Amino acid sequence: MSQELDLPPALRPEVEAARRHVSLSPEIEARVMAAVRRRAAPPQQRAWRWLTAPSLPPWSLLAAAAAALLAFVIFRPASVGSPGVASPRATAVGPESVYVRFILVAPNAREVALAGTFNGWDPATAPLSRADTAGTWTVTVALPVGQHQYAFIVDGRRWVPDPAAPAVDDGFGRKNSVVSVSAAQGRIL
Amino acid sequence: MEPTPEPSDGTVVRAVLTGDVEQYAVLVRRYKDRYARYASRMLGSVDAAEDAVQDALIRAYERLPQCRDPEKFAGWFFLILRNRCFAERRRDRRSNGLDQVGEMAASEGSHASLERKEQARSLEQALLQLTPEQREVFVLKHVEELSYDEIAARVGTGVAALKMRMHRAYDRLRELLGEPQ
Repeated sequence: MSQELDLPPALRPEVEAARRHVSLSPEIEARVMAAVRRRAAPPQQRAWRWLTAPSLPPWSLLAAAAAALLAFVIFRPASVGSPGVASPRATAVGPESVYVRFILVAPNAREVALAGTFNGWDPATAPLSRADTAGTWTVTVALPVGQHQYAFIVDGRRWVPDPAAPAVDDGFGRKNSVVSVSAAQGRIL
Repeated sequence: MEPTPEPSDGTVVRAVLTGDVEQYAVLVRRYKDRYARYASRMLGSVDAAEDAVQDALIRAYERLPQCRDPEKFAGWFFLILRNRCFAERRRDRRSNGLDQVGEMAASEGSHASLERKEQARSLEQALLQLTPEQREVFVLKHVEELSYDEIAARVGTGVAALKMRMHRAYDRLRELLGEPQ
């Protein structure tokens, strides 16, 4: 049996050739790590961490904690919407733009701002105000009709996507939220 | 000044699990090429091996909390990659990469190199005709040069069963490569 299990002589040169070292593309590392960063804090985990963290978590956790923030972006004509924190809304202000109210529930945040393609990603132009003791933060901004990307900035350094809105890769391993404003339909998609 | 010793797999795994995600790059660099030859011989092309290794590394990260012995990350990762290779072979036999085998010897131009390239090509083509199990035992024994005991420990199959697979693999390879029985 052992003789039969020796490598057949005719295969030896071919096996020698097959033993050559194989190196894969060095780009694998970047691709794997990009995927790892995206998976580092899935929404459910992020929400749980946000709700259970005894103190401010590090960046990786807080990026994820976005999902724990009950954020809503809802757009309705002004005559339909009712005032109040629980009813975020947008109001048409002209044929080309509407007011959109962004709401984020961030109980542990000291400050929250909104940055997006509509304000040159400058959070200083759209700070959110704390609306109640439950940690609800709101801001209303006028957005041109069209599609915009945005994120919330919590405590000046943590970029938090809106878990209630569609998201796209920002090209740097993180997500931006997307809002589509349509004056005709009065909806944010 | 003495060089800083490389952290063990267990140290890196524990760091990742406690939130230092960037440490995973250490494992990626450490294992990216270690099983590349195995994957390329199992799948028939370097391109397919690259996809498999990349997927396996991502899957290993996703399942990292299930790695019961972080110091044995290498063996655990190998099983993930192995499952990936087997799944691909079973899922799509059309992707056996026959027309890509030549790239394994890319950049070699001498007569001897070309001869080796042809030899590798014919063996690769023949290996693709084996079952995944036969192919694996052949690759691990003769390409990776592991003992039967080492193979048994790695894939969780008894030595006797491995030898039987090898016996059948030889028969099939002789048939495919035209060696007289």
